[in-house]
Amino acid sequence: MNLIEMNSICKSYRNIGFETRVLKDVTLHIKEGDYVSIIGPSGAGKSTLMAIMGCLSQPTSGEYILDGEEVGKLNDRKLSRVRNEKIGFVFQAFHLLPGVTAMENVTLPLVYAKNPPGNIKERARELLAKVGLEHRLHHTPGQLSGGEQQRVTIARSLINDPRIILADEPTGNLDSKNGIETMKTFDNLIKEGKTIILITHDQEVAQHADRIISIRDGQIASDSKVSHEEQIRSL
Amino acid sequence: MNIFSSLGIAIKALFSHKMRTFLASLGILIGIASVIVMVAIGKGSQMEVMDVIAGMGENLITINAGEMKRRGGRLRLTGNVNTLTVRDANGIMDEISEVERVAPFEEKRMSAKFGNNAAETTIAGSTVDFPFIRDYYLKSGEFFSERDVKTANRVAIIGMTAVKNLFGEEDPLGQVIRVHFIPFKIIGVFEPKGVDTNGLDQDDLVLIPLSTYMRRIVNQTFISRIFVKASSRQNISKASVKIRELLRENHKLVDDRNDDFTLVTQLEIEDMKKETTEMFTKLIVGVAGISLLVGGIGILAVMLISVKERTREIGIRRAVGATRRDIVHQFLYESLIIGFLGGGLGIILGVGLTLGLNQWGHWTLILDLHSIWIASWACVGIGVLFGVFPAIKASKLDPMEALTTE
Repeated sequence: MNLIEMNSICKSYRNIGFETRVLKDVTLHIKEGDYVSIIGPSGAGKSTLMAIMGCLSQPTSGEYILDGEEVGKLNDRKLSRVRNEKIGFVFQAFHLLPGVTAMENVTLPLVYAKNPPGNIKERARELLAKVGLEHRLHHTPGQLSGGEQQRVTIARSLINDPRIILADEPTGNLDSKNGIETMKTFDNLIKEGKTIILITHDQEVAQHADRIISIRDGQIASDSKVSHEEQIRSL
Repeated sequence: MNIFSSLGIAIKALFSHKMRTFLASLGILIGIASVIVMVAIGKGSQMEVMDVIAGMGENLITINAGEMKRRGGRLRLTGNVNTLTVRDANGIMDEISEVERVAPFEEKRMSAKFGNNAAETTIAGSTVDFPFIRDYYLKSGEFFSERDVKTANRVAIIGMTAVKNLFGEEDPLGQVIRVHFIPFKIIGVFEPKGVDTNGLDQDDLVLIPLSTYMRRIVNQTFISRIFVKASSRQNISKASVKIRELLRENHKLVDDRNDDFTLVTQLEIEDMKKETTEMFTKLIVGVAGISLLVGGIGILAVMLISVKERTREIGIRRAVGATRRDIVHQFLYESLIIGFLGGGLGIILGVGLTLGLNQWGHWTLILDLHSIWIASWACVGIGVLFGVFPAIKASKLDPMEALTTE
């Protein structure tokens, strides 16, 4: 069964009377447990695609079925719940709340959860330990390095045990060492059965996935499986 | 998401911007405090005025010779009318059953001398009923008797201001003062009475028997005023109607002639003063409304800045699952807390100022619990009213756009 099913998705923005079509008729199916990269040059519509996939914005037309649910028909409350329960976001710019500790940032999604688990702090501590930040629990983003901040973001994306991890240029703001660390984390998450969608313009990063979808001018230019040998060669 | 986590987020956000939070609530603080103090001043002065009116004498009707007209906001007598007489006073006493006491009265500013001290004061002549009608009490000595009035005796009761001006620290009882070269023996001293509704000093007075005044001081037969005490508050109007009829008859005023006297009852003075205080109250409400509006605009401005500044935060919260409603609540709680904070501090400041001014200032202030109650609701209302717009604005932001805003 497809976890993500996008059929003829279009997205356009209206700006001072001009209509900019960012996504043109995108049809895309992703199965549970898939490791997918979406690549393309900047301005190709990757981020818009991710925003729609992550229920952060609604398509202008087309049908988006997430986990068997037609997203376009959901109201704000239900849409927020989908984001809260099914999706974990990892952003290029980290997007952590400033002035708030790592622990509190990680537990933020549970503030909005309908049925938050009882052992919130324990879970947050576990996840931060998993990304190697057990010694940074009470540091604020300003006191953490870029790599550390990105790891807090990853811990946050996992706190509500989502089925999909949406990562938008996760290595974009990191040096190569931290980038490799981050990618290793994602590689491990696949083994835990998460569905990971990486948005990137970096071929090397994209090679980590099992499937690479390339976007150009708001349309899917190619969609190919990555063979294991290729993957090893690229490493 | 429950109310406590929303409140928690709001409090945390406000706490991280202490200065801004304080400044935002300052407008409300000053507004509420000034409302409380001004209402207290209003209430206090109203009570003071009512006290003064009551102090003029209970159930008082004043008959002035001549027509009274408003000039410069105050009632003033016009013309020099010589139609009002002691006979009128006696007639009122004898013929009108609703009247309890009557005191004919005449006064003039004159120089009084004690030894080498001279001071201008009000020399007044009246009868034994005067102190009962006008609520004058004796501090020491005694009042003149019917006999003193009949025999035009040269005795005087003196007010505290005149005492101070003529005698200084000396005891005036038994001393002799001279008015128009005529010696008067001081047989009594009045209790201080303060100023009247027109701000005139009621203690700057030397009271002598009316007969003495008419024969020895001015040598005239008419008087300028008659004080009447009605038998009860209910009878004031009835008595005043009857007095008017009687005086018109006595003065032979035919139908179309104007009265040559003016009746003023205590009720009319009260109504007049009430009108003034009501106007003052309206003014307070107006000023209060404006200051609270300004305070509200302060909250509005700060909340709009806050929303703008935290666009990214809103995006982050939305991305991890906050609904529009959650965002509205968060910002609405912030503005409500600012309102509460300003209101609470305003009430404390207002009550403190009121009590302080009452204790150490020269005004009488009366704390009005009603105004505090309204002020409390006002700050809640302002918090919501001026917080709703920024809160809704924050919630309407597209999550993706909010996230990418720099």
